[in-house]
Amino acid sequence: MATKVKELGAGAAVRSNHPNPLISNDKLKQMYSTMLKCRLLEERARILKKQARFKGNYYAAVGQEATAVGAGIDLRPEDTVAPSHRDFILNFIKGTPLTAMFSQLYGRSTSPDKGRSAPAHGGYAPLNIITPGSTIAAQLNIGTGIAMANQMKKNDNVVVAFSGEGSTSLGFWHEALNFAGVRNLPIVYVCQNNLWAESVSVKLQTKVDDISLKAIGYGFPGITVDGNDVVAMYRVAQEAIARARTGGGPTLIEAKTYRWYGHSEIDPARYRSAEEVEEWKAKDPIAAMERYLTGKDLYSDAWKKEISEEFQKELDAAIDVAEKAPPPEPIDCLDYLYSFDIRNRELDRKNYSPKF
Amino acid sequence: MPVSYLDAINAALREEMQRDPNVFILGEDVGVMGGAFGVTKGLLEEFGADRVIDSPLAEGIIVSASIGAAMAGLRPVAEIQFVDFITPAMDAITQQAAKLRYRSAGTQTCPLTVRVCYGGGTGGGLYHSQTNTTWFAHEPGLVVVAPATASDAKGMLKASIRQDDPVIYFEHKKLYRLPAVKEELPEGDDHLADLFHCAIRRPGKDATIVTYGYMLQLALQAAEKVAEESGASVEVIDLRVLNPLDHDTILESVSRTGRLCIVQEDHRTLGIGSEIAATVAERAFDCLDAPIVRVAAPDVPAIPAAESLEQFYMPNVSKVVDALHRILQY
Ligand SMILES: Cc1ncc(C[n+]2csc(CCOP(=O)(O)OP(=O)(O)O)c2C)c(N)n1
Ligand SMILES: [Mg+2]
Repeated sequence: MATKVKELGAGAAVRSNHPNPLISNDKLKQMYSTMLKCRLLEERARILKKQARFKGNYYAAVGQEATAVGAGIDLRPEDTVAPSHRDFILNFIKGTPLTAMFSQLYGRSTSPDKGRSAPAHGGYAPLNIITPGSTIAAQLNIGTGIAMANQMKKNDNVVVAFSGEGSTSLGFWHEALNFAGVRNLPIVYVCQNNLWAESVSVKLQTKVDDISLKAIGYGFPGITVDGNDVVAMYRVAQEAIARARTGGGPTLIEAKTYRWYGHSEIDPARYRSAEEVEEWKAKDPIAAMERYLTGKDLYSDAWKKEISEEFQKELDAAIDVAEKAPPPEPIDCLDYLYSFDIRNRELDRKNYSPKF
Repeated sequence: MPVSYLDAINAALREEMQRDPNVFILGEDVGVMGGAFGVTKGLLEEFGADRVIDSPLAEGIIVSASIGAAMAGLRPVAEIQFVDFITPAMDAITQQAAKLRYRSAGTQTCPLTVRVCYGGGTGGGLYHSQTNTTWFAHEPGLVVVAPATASDAKGMLKASIRQDDPVIYFEHKKLYRLPAVKEELPEGDDHLADLFHCAIRRPGKDATIVTYGYMLQLALQAAEKVAEESGASVEVIDLRVLNPLDHDTILESVSRTGRLCIVQEDHRTLGIGSEIAATVAERAFDCLDAPIVRVAAPDVPAIPAAESLEQFYMPNVSKVVDALHRILQY
């Protein structure tokens, strides 16, 4: 059941004038430009973090863009994304406005969660992106429930639930996949195997080489894909999403990829070798796609420059909006706890002691 | 015909499922078997396996799948067979359900009901007798209720299912078939009980007992006994709701009676009584004519199985009577 898919290969420059039979040239270009924008967005977020322009931490997925873009690019607004701590860019891919994303990083009153969740742990209700907690794998389980609801309501919406390889050691992860298998739920689990969970090697998480093998235990397809190859990722994800939409049940996709930087902005990542990092940087999904598009005469440096310059302006504008937006009022701390208000209860406590 | 606490819960589920197609049940043995105690009996036959779902044996996904379903607009009623086995669902309840509305600033919510069977006194031993209500009462974002009467069992469950918040609904296994709590309940009356206030079950002027769940039975008997023995009149408050607490009904009562006895089935340290005692000390100190007293289980891990040990552990009428005499004679 577990199969491996490889499309580009490291350094591949496929010379062909034929359009990809499954994927239009426009889609290929869109995937490239989206990956590039994700990279620019996160590099900018990292700079802002280093400049202490926002508080808290940031968990960059730089190096992993192909996984997120391949799986997320064609989702409908009604489809749900269940993101992990490293999937902030899924917001951008699914269409969350940049102003909302940067307001979230800045913890502003204008952010979708009004300054409550940690930076990068942001969701967006209008596009069905779950606002995640930080418990590893918990978003998969909630996403699984949304998939159950979609099935019960007999619509054809799917859920794509993201997590890292570290999540697969938790009981939660297995409860979710088992349940989805038993009930044949319309969900795709994307496990981004970036070899590290903070400082812990994947070799200490699991005895199997391919995490996709675990799907066998739950009775649905598992597939390992080169997560730095956006075309392969897209093909595999679209097949899984189509299967889920049409009642074929869940899929586990293991995307083998790598995060270029530390676990977060405060992690120098001394636990891994410089050679390993360099080896993976050479497999940069964006550079690989440039070579692929070049082979199809779909790429030029001028086009890249144009996308970059245009997008940097959009980032500037969104950051400006976020920086100027007001922080939440301190008293807002008491809001959005229940469907009913607790402000008065907290503030106006009646005193029963006559002498006090 | 008088309705038992268990039948009242069953009726509430049936009525809510008839009323709203979005209501469904998810839990272990809830379908074919009709629940470990028979609470969901007949519902599979009436509503089918798509709405009365026998789940895999996994409390974590029972609750988290319910959270997701609730986010997507359904009204799940998850069942936890014994609170002793709720720990695999602790992340789902405390980190997800309790915090979802808050962390998304109200843009994502999960109106689910988790029915939890709890309580001792049936010889169930360490892992079929626990109370553990306080774990959840400690979590802002959860509504925690514990009905003590058949009428509340029905009305509070119906209200919980319609409440736009995650509600943890604690049902005491000893109340399920207890003759003393059987009540006439008109079928299909659609009575929705209040989810926010305590109820004064017996008015009095010399002391206040605050309690909930099965302990209400002991408290009422103790109050009666004290009245017979000494003529003192003891007010008995049924908490009903453990989170958010209805402080004012308690404070108002204590400000009239001047004496407070808290009866709780869970162990003493940081139980619900600790919070009530602290609140009364903070906000009604001058009203007290005697120290506050708690009748609680000892701080041992859970209820031991042997009858002698269980009896030592559980609060009972004479322990409550002794406590009342101590504060009345202070
Ligand atoms: C249940 C739980 N345990 C520990 C943590 C702290 N933590 C946050 S991220 C992380 C590593 C996650 O690794 P992985 O799942 O591989 O995702 P990656 O960070 O590589 O994207 C840890 C241990 C947590 N958030 N939740
Ligand atoms: Mg990892």
